[in-house]
Amino acid sequence: MTKILGVGLLTGWGAGAAALPEDARRAAGERRIVSMARPAINGERFRRATRESLLGVAAVEAALRDSGLDRAAVAGSQTALVYVTAAAYGASNKNFIVATSPSAARTEGGLPAAPGGGVYFPYTAPSAVPAEVAIEYGLTGGYVILVGGAVGTVDALWQASVMLAARRATLALVLAVETFEECADLWARGRWATPRPLVEAAACAVLAGHGEGVEYGPGEASTFETMAARRAGETLSCAPLVGLALARAAGMSSARVTGHWRGRRAQVVVAT
Amino acid sequence: MTPAAVVAAGVATPIGLDLDTFWSALCTGVDGISGIERFRVDDLRVGRGGEIKKLRAPRDGRLPRCRASALLTLAADDLLARAELDADPARVAVVVGTALGGVEEGDRALAEGGVRVAASGLYDSPAHTLARRLRVRGPVVTVSTACASGATAMGVGADLLSAGAADLVVAGGYDVLCRFVMRGFDALRSLTREQVRPFDRRRSGLLLGEAAALVLMARDADMSRPRLGRLLGHASSSDGSHIAAPHPEGRGLEHAVRNALAAAGVGGDAVDFVSAHGTGTPLNDRIETAVLRRVLGPRAASVPVNAIKGALGHTMGAAATLEAIMCLLASRDGVVPGTAGYEEPDPACDLDVRGTSRAARPRVSLSTSLGFGGCNAALVLEGTA
Repeated sequence: MTKILGVGLLTGWGAGAAALPEDARRAAGERRIVSMARPAINGERFRRATRESLLGVAAVEAALRDSGLDRAAVAGSQTALVYVTAAAYGASNKNFIVATSPSAARTEGGLPAAPGGGVYFPYTAPSAVPAEVAIEYGLTGGYVILVGGAVGTVDALWQASVMLAARRATLALVLAVETFEECADLWARGRWATPRPLVEAAACAVLAGHGEGVEYGPGEASTFETMAARRAGETLSCAPLVGLALARAAGMSSARVTGHWRGRRAQVVVAT
Repeated sequence: MTPAAVVAAGVATPIGLDLDTFWSALCTGVDGISGIERFRVDDLRVGRGGEIKKLRAPRDGRLPRCRASALLTLAADDLLARAELDADPARVAVVVGTALGGVEEGDRALAEGGVRVAASGLYDSPAHTLARRLRVRGPVVTVSTACASGATAMGVGADLLSAGAADLVVAGGYDVLCRFVMRGFDALRSLTREQVRPFDRRRSGLLLGEAAALVLMARDADMSRPRLGRLLGHASSSDGSHIAAPHPEGRGLEHAVRNALAAAGVGGDAVDFVSAHGTGTPLNDRIETAVLRRVLGPRAASVPVNAIKGALGHTMGAAATLEAIMCLLASRDGVVPGTAGYEEPDPACDLDVRGTSRAARPRVSLSTSLGFGGCNAALVLEGTA
């Protein structure tokens, strides 16, 4: 069975499972979105990095800390990276669209007021977040990027297990990032479709083991899916990793992780 | 890995809205590049690309308003005309790759408003529209490894079959030409004002195109019906070096190629044909050449190589699946399509590239792909030769 070595969890509530309130809806009060600040990660290389990219980097750092691993342990071609998001690309997409529209606000110098030039275009791709992570940690192994909600992360945990089982990697990082603040107007339009509150989150699990016989497929909602929704709020693709963090905090030796998105629910079982 | 059967394929491209027309056009050198008419381009440096001028009516119902979903619908119609989804719908998976998803809908949502349009802007919306259209209820997975997405999607599809998580997989990729992506590549100055010339001495950049390409995959051991070929091996990798540019020596691509060959259980000496990513940018083609020379050794100069982006533009998420399909058709028919735009050899790209189609019947093909964010993917395919 695939073994979870550690989980890094950052949410709008704070760092780790211990920061989650007992009832996210009550804790949010009138707030529709519980957001996170841009992580204070400095360096010339990050001058154009998006908030969601930095959140991804910070989540991996937290996961390594929880796993007792240093950066050297994951650098190189033997660590796979599987990234998932439902919507974290929304902010950069919106910025680019707004900045390059004919009616875009201009600075006094005639430049777009928002980042919309060629150097910003690559940051609109969902691959920008894992790219920043891969560069920062020197990851050159198997690389899969999935777009979807909580089910996407269950798929990602399975995909990472497959890569471990096939000896395509000895370690795997499953990373999920969701941000909402920049597209709050768009999310408000669909408020009937998403539970309140939307909680920004970045989470990463470090996986090891050979993953033979990984249990993966359709399944009913797990206890930890229900608990993650109640305590964290709606974190979309991060929800299964919130569930994993809660399972580890509860001292479980294994966990059935489930996720639901667009009418499909899937499960995967891992050792925690 | 356990090989996956590629049962059939369906496409919608600028050079043909079905597989037979696409293949015939590719072999005869039809040019799919034209002035873009569907949206405003007069404020861009380059206003040409591989645009599909007229969509045909679908087999039943109406085409979705979202163009990405419309292209997937047409490719699915073409696929279903060639093969049935004869499995429990709950055991049929959809895995599609895209660089842009429904971003054009996101653009429209910001301009026009509306809940439904905003939801269509999520990158995984077209895959779910496709699954509903196919009436399947298995896993629906959207892959977004930028311009390597179509290859990664086929790899994930093969993994689903191998793990027994699905009995059939509709896998592939798509992307549309829209103002969002044209503005982006225009700002990057990656687009050429000249002809796209992969591996040619005068190559000066790429042009974008739009397409959808799907394959029906099954476990090879379950196959009792004819097939186009098999996916023998696949691999992906991250460069971990730059947000937009490939690794200067192509180390990530080399890693993916070597791992795909290992997964297929073959060495570089077994490769009969290479479908290169071949964007026609000065950097990409030189890096790919260096990687192929390292992996194939002395044979690199004599193994046929082609790149189809000169004919239809860089179709982004669809590109790798179209190229995989092309490899299997080359094997079936004994023809390797020419590389449109290739005329003058470049000493830095000393591979066996030709501008026109040639007779060759490759059994084992290698297909390479790269994308923004340091994404690399490689497929090893076996045709029916």
